[in-house]
Amino acid sequence: MLVFFTGYNTLCAQDLDSLMDENSPSKEYVKNAFKSTRVINGHSMEFLRSGTMDFRILHRFGLMNQGAKNFFGLDQASMRMGFDFGITNNLMLGVGRSTYKKELDGFIKYAPLRQSTGPKSFPLTITFVGGATINTLPWDDPTRENFFSSRVAYYGQVIIGRKFSPAFTLQLSPTIVHNNLVPFIDQPNDVYSLGLGGRYKFSKRMALMVDYFFIANGLQKDINFNPLSVGIDIETGGHVFQLHFSNTTGMNERAFITETTNRWGKGEIRFGFNLSRVFQIAHKKNK
Amino acid sequence: MKHNKFVYSLLLFSVLIHESCYYDKAELLYPNAAYCDTLAPSSYSQKVVPILGNNCYSCHSGSAPAGNVAMGTYAKDKVIGLNGRLYGSISHAAGYSPMPKSGTKLSDCEISTVKRWIDASCPNN
Repeated sequence: MLVFFTGYNTLCAQDLDSLMDENSPSKEYVKNAFKSTRVINGHSMEFLRSGTMDFRILHRFGLMNQGAKNFFGLDQASMRMGFDFGITNNLMLGVGRSTYKKELDGFIKYAPLRQSTGPKSFPLTITFVGGATINTLPWDDPTRENFFSSRVAYYGQVIIGRKFSPAFTLQLSPTIVHNNLVPFIDQPNDVYSLGLGGRYKFSKRMALMVDYFFIANGLQKDINFNPLSVGIDIETGGHVFQLHFSNTTGMNERAFITETTNRWGKGEIRFGFNLSRVFQIAHKKNK
Repeated sequence: MKHNKFVYSLLLFSVLIHESCYYDKAELLYPNAAYCDTLAPSSYSQKVVPILGNNCYSCHSGSAPAGNVAMGTYAKDKVIGLNGRLYGSISHAAGYSPMPKSGTKLSDCEISTVKRWIDASCPNN
């Protein structure tokens, strides 16, 4: 009996194996490492689906330690409005405008390599981001010769990320921000930083998010500080709500990396609220 | 094919950016401007007064200065410089009323200029 059953099981296993060969697993790209294309401030390794548009409204309020007289900062709101477009599943671009310094921004984001499972799997997603910002405030001194290039800054970033489990994703983003104009002779125009972004999903619809950039060089350490934002993502159908606390005012790379002058250690944090809604604008076959 | 198009666009984009990439320093572009100079101590009369004059004196001078904080002369500016209220307010530090009142914080350059004057014990120079 035992022999029969063992033999029978072996035969069955062999049959299953041959079945498996016929329907061998195909390569599948890992999805939903992050629920949104931004961790909090910085870009995430996630992309929009082809043919979709993400309408994003970001708010950052005043310092909470001002107390009740400014309603813990809520009386002073700074906002960024943006439109992101998914061109293909690994190529997207976006435009936006922040009320802080009335700054326009645009970016293009491409992932030549994506984390995948199955045959020829790859353990990481590697994404390139390139962007620019344009300050549209009136000139400080209109009587002198001002240059349009002085309004412009650029940034470049490589995001290396991995979804370790359905609940946990981590990414690193070495970043360079270039300001065409800086005030001091001895101040570098290029600021190098390393971003660290993480997500821990603790329920079906909610995740803890951390977004930190370590400024390696280019800024005065007693005036500018490393931006750190911590928050919660709440996903409801097509919307993603992000509630967070941050020491940054700016919501584009040039602003939050090179202009953070507040410190968590001194209680100089701001409440912020991001809302993202994805619309299908072109009906293409998703591959 | 799609990848090739993208690579060419990226190369074109990089060239365009390179052509528009500048390494300008305001101190060199505008040497005659009353601008920040990190290489020299902050002169009260030449560097600090223009900053305070443009941003503070309109409210904080005269017989009834705003918030009872008097400015506008060296003696008065020195008092709030040395007691920490000036830097506390312009740097928007916790516990201080953020200034200028309009809500637009002074530039890092301006704050740095005033701080260097304060750190040098507010000389009358």
